[in-house]
Amino acid sequence: MTNSTSQAEIVRQSLKRRYRKERRFRAYGITAIALAITALVVLFSDIISKGHTGFLKTTVTLEVTFDPEIMYLEDATDPAQIRNADYLAPLMAALKREFPEVSGRSGERALKGLLNSYSSSEVKDLVVANPAVMGTTQTLTFVASDDVDVFVKHRDDSSYSLKLTEEQQAWTLALMERGVIDTSFNDVFFTHGDSRDPGHAGVLGAIVGSLLTMAVTLLLSFPIGVAAAIYLEEFAPQNRLTDFIEVNINNLAAVPSIIFGLLGLAIFINLFGMPRSVPVVGGLVLMLMTLPTIIISSRAAIKSVPPSIREAAEGIGASKMQVVLHHVLPLAMPGMLTGSIIGMAQALGETAPLLLIGMVAFIVDVPDGFFSSATVLPVQIFLWAGSPELGFIERASAAIMVLLTFLISMNALAIWLRKRLERRW
Amino acid sequence: MSTLNTSITTDTAQRETTTQDAVSMAKEKPAEAAIEYGKTVGTPFADDAKFCLRDVEVFYGDTQAIKGISLDIARNEVIAFIGPSGCGKSTFLRCLNRMNDSIDICRVKGRLELDGQDLYDPKRDVVELRARVGMVFQKPNPFPKSIYDNVAYGPRIHGLANRKSELDDIVEDSLRKAGLWNEVKDRLDAPATGMSGGQQQRLCIARTIAVSPEVVLMDEPCSALDPIATAKVEELIAELSQSYTIIIVTHSMQQAARVSHRTAYFHLGHLVEVNDTDKVFTAPEHELTESYITGRFG
Amino acid sequence: MPTQQDDVYGDHISNQFNEELAELKTEFLKMGGLVEQQLMDAVQALIENDSQLAEDVRARDKAVDRMEVAIDEEATRVIARRQPTARDLRLVVSVIKMVNDLERVGDESKKIAKFAIGLSEEGQAPRGYVETRHIGNHVASMLHDALDAFARLDSEQALRVMKEDKRVDEEYQAATRTLLTFMMEDTRNISRCMSVMWVLRALERVGDHACNIAENVIFMVKGEDIRHTSMERAEEVVKR
Repeated sequence: MTNSTSQAEIVRQSLKRRYRKERRFRAYGITAIALAITALVVLFSDIISKGHTGFLKTTVTLEVTFDPEIMYLEDATDPAQIRNADYLAPLMAALKREFPEVSGRSGERALKGLLNSYSSSEVKDLVVANPAVMGTTQTLTFVASDDVDVFVKHRDDSSYSLKLTEEQQAWTLALMERGVIDTSFNDVFFTHGDSRDPGHAGVLGAIVGSLLTMAVTLLLSFPIGVAAAIYLEEFAPQNRLTDFIEVNINNLAAVPSIIFGLLGLAIFINLFGMPRSVPVVGGLVLMLMTLPTIIISSRAAIKSVPPSIREAAEGIGASKMQVVLHHVLPLAMPGMLTGSIIGMAQALGETAPLLLIGMVAFIVDVPDGFFSSATVLPVQIFLWAGSPELGFIERASAAIMVLLTFLISMNALAIWLRKRLERRW
Repeated sequence: MSTLNTSITTDTAQRETTTQDAVSMAKEKPAEAAIEYGKTVGTPFADDAKFCLRDVEVFYGDTQAIKGISLDIARNEVIAFIGPSGCGKSTFLRCLNRMNDSIDICRVKGRLELDGQDLYDPKRDVVELRARVGMVFQKPNPFPKSIYDNVAYGPRIHGLANRKSELDDIVEDSLRKAGLWNEVKDRLDAPATGMSGGQQQRLCIARTIAVSPEVVLMDEPCSALDPIATAKVEELIAELSQSYTIIIVTHSMQQAARVSHRTAYFHLGHLVEVNDTDKVFTAPEHELTESYITGRFG
Repeated sequence: MPTQQDDVYGDHISNQFNEELAELKTEFLKMGGLVEQQLMDAVQALIENDSQLAEDVRARDKAVDRMEVAIDEEATRVIARRQPTARDLRLVVSVIKMVNDLERVGDESKKIAKFAIGLSEEGQAPRGYVETRHIGNHVASMLHDALDAFARLDSEQALRVMKEDKRVDEEYQAATRTLLTFMMEDTRNISRCMSVMWVLRALERVGDHACNIAENVIFMVKGEDIRHTSMERAEEVVKR
């Protein structure tokens, strides 16, 4: 009896110790998760705080009078003359109407600084397309110059060095009050390709480039990866050769992605003579990179199919092929899809190998096919992050947000597909 | 009473002398020495043999799992394979529809014939063989499909039905034979995995008999089931025995006693004894069989 | 008393089962011993006109009945709990049957004791007691041998008991003829001789019961039921 009570005492004491240990362990876990969440919150808040203004554009709205006289036009109906007319003059005139006190060349130059250098050619395109506007007065909205844009959005932020003079700043504030200068949703960002001017730069080209590249990658790597996984799991004999292949596939998954870029450059461009910076080559290179991931996850998915199902089918007299097609593949499909989507998400964020095959070029046009020059989102971010113009900083952050949105929605798709397909009845 | 007790104790004490019979019945340690290679006591051979198996040996790599077994399995009989774990009964069962084929290191030697045709003839199509020799497994393993599709799968892949109505008939017939029709006829489209364990196992039996096999192999079909589900499956086996040859591996000796006509006792890869089930469970011929079924080792 | 015979039913994986079977055996042998004693006492009471001993025998029959019930219950429990097979099954089934035989022997002893009381009250010189003593000893030894065969699982001894039964039958025939002669000699003897006849009849029945027990022992040991077959068949089985 005494023995048992003392034993109970020992147990009780060790119990306390065990609970303490357990609590400590739980605390470590919570700390780790808290750290991870903090890092994530810092990252996101930084990107969002920097990038959210990238989704806004600063516009200048002016009453432009197309007076042939100040545009140095003799015949307002002659298309050749219209093409060579001075389109800056009516804009300047409109601006001067806002500030009648400004005079002199230096004053005019300062005033001109408020306008975007692309504005005159925009006016020209308008008039060339529609000569009837000559002689009329139109209310037109232009993207403001990069410096005005930065001033309007970040005038209270000391980290931005403002390039506007005191005078220009005063004018801008005055124009803002009058509603001439305003900010609105940046549709240009989503409808244009790259540009030297931040106000005219957009991610559409990069998005389309990414989608085309991903399409090539998916269409090639998914069937090849799944077929390879099925062969290796179900049909290949267990010998040294297959072991060797297995080891190599696992190693390939760990190879730095830039090596795949070099491989792509050497094989697809130099050897096969494919064009540079096109989505097909980008897709092929990324396919090489994602294949190991897809093969490994597909093999894991096939392995996780319960052998009892296989035996059941074999016991009824299904052939090897029927077992695989009717039973193994449908059950392994969710795992395969998830693996593939995660591989694709990796590929979507990949920059290094694409730099090597020339997808880093400055491309203004939105690509219109698999063989037209293109760039992709991460490369676009890389380009903008390295640009000197202040306006590109926020656009890079905005592009990061777009990329993150794509990645998150792809992962969400993966989860949704898994949930949906994995419904094991 | 106490005074009587003493007198009786002395009385019994006098009786303690060893006799010839007591020695012969005394426990013999289960040893391989007690078994002669390839020798089986009892009645391993039958006149009307469905399976004719002679000197069967199975190797896993260098290990010999089955040591020269010769056995006939008669038409429409229920034969139970019993024996301690690892005695080779499941391995032997799986040879009969070549389920061991998928194991690379497994080699089968000897003569195995089904209706006089060699099972392991290289020209023989294993798919055709498995259509004739169906199998039910230890764990109920319905496909993750509907009840209907589970039963219809075999007939579909073998092309047994040309029209939907024919397939419907096969499914209904199989489910009826498996005693499941009344329980599931209103929910044929329901997922098979939503059924109870016993129903699932009977569905697996229905799925097996849907391809009209001649032989049904059952590998511990009730080991995952509760007693009531087990009773239903055993009832089913009794009914099926009228039209099928059934070979059942079981760990439950009571089950072997209940369902089978003949019982085969396996020990360390040997077939020690084959006899009528009644004989095996009342008066087995071999000491090892007796030791096993009476729970002296396992 | 750990001996070779205990081992035969005592080497299961389940020790509980071992104990249950050992208990069943011991209880049966105890009952056997008690019944043997009853038989011998009853015969002695008759021959020695000891009505006190006869009363004792009648009183003790209750104990025999209780033991029968207890052993039956134990056997039922073993079947329900262990589902015995093969030799264990044969042991349990045989015990259930043999216990019945023992109880009958107990009843016959009680009957003899009743006649012993009746005859001692008449207090006349015994007639036919020589035969009674002789047959009584004979069947008592048969019963003893049958129980002995059970205890030692000795089928040959059991066979010998079966053969003895024939001799008992012959002795019984001879004794009845002798008694018939007594009755014809002196009609006053008829009622007493009838009592002795009944006693002889009871002893003959005891021999049959001993024979049944022996048959069951052979079934237990050899696994073959030799009831209602020829003696040659029984010999064949035992020789096997």
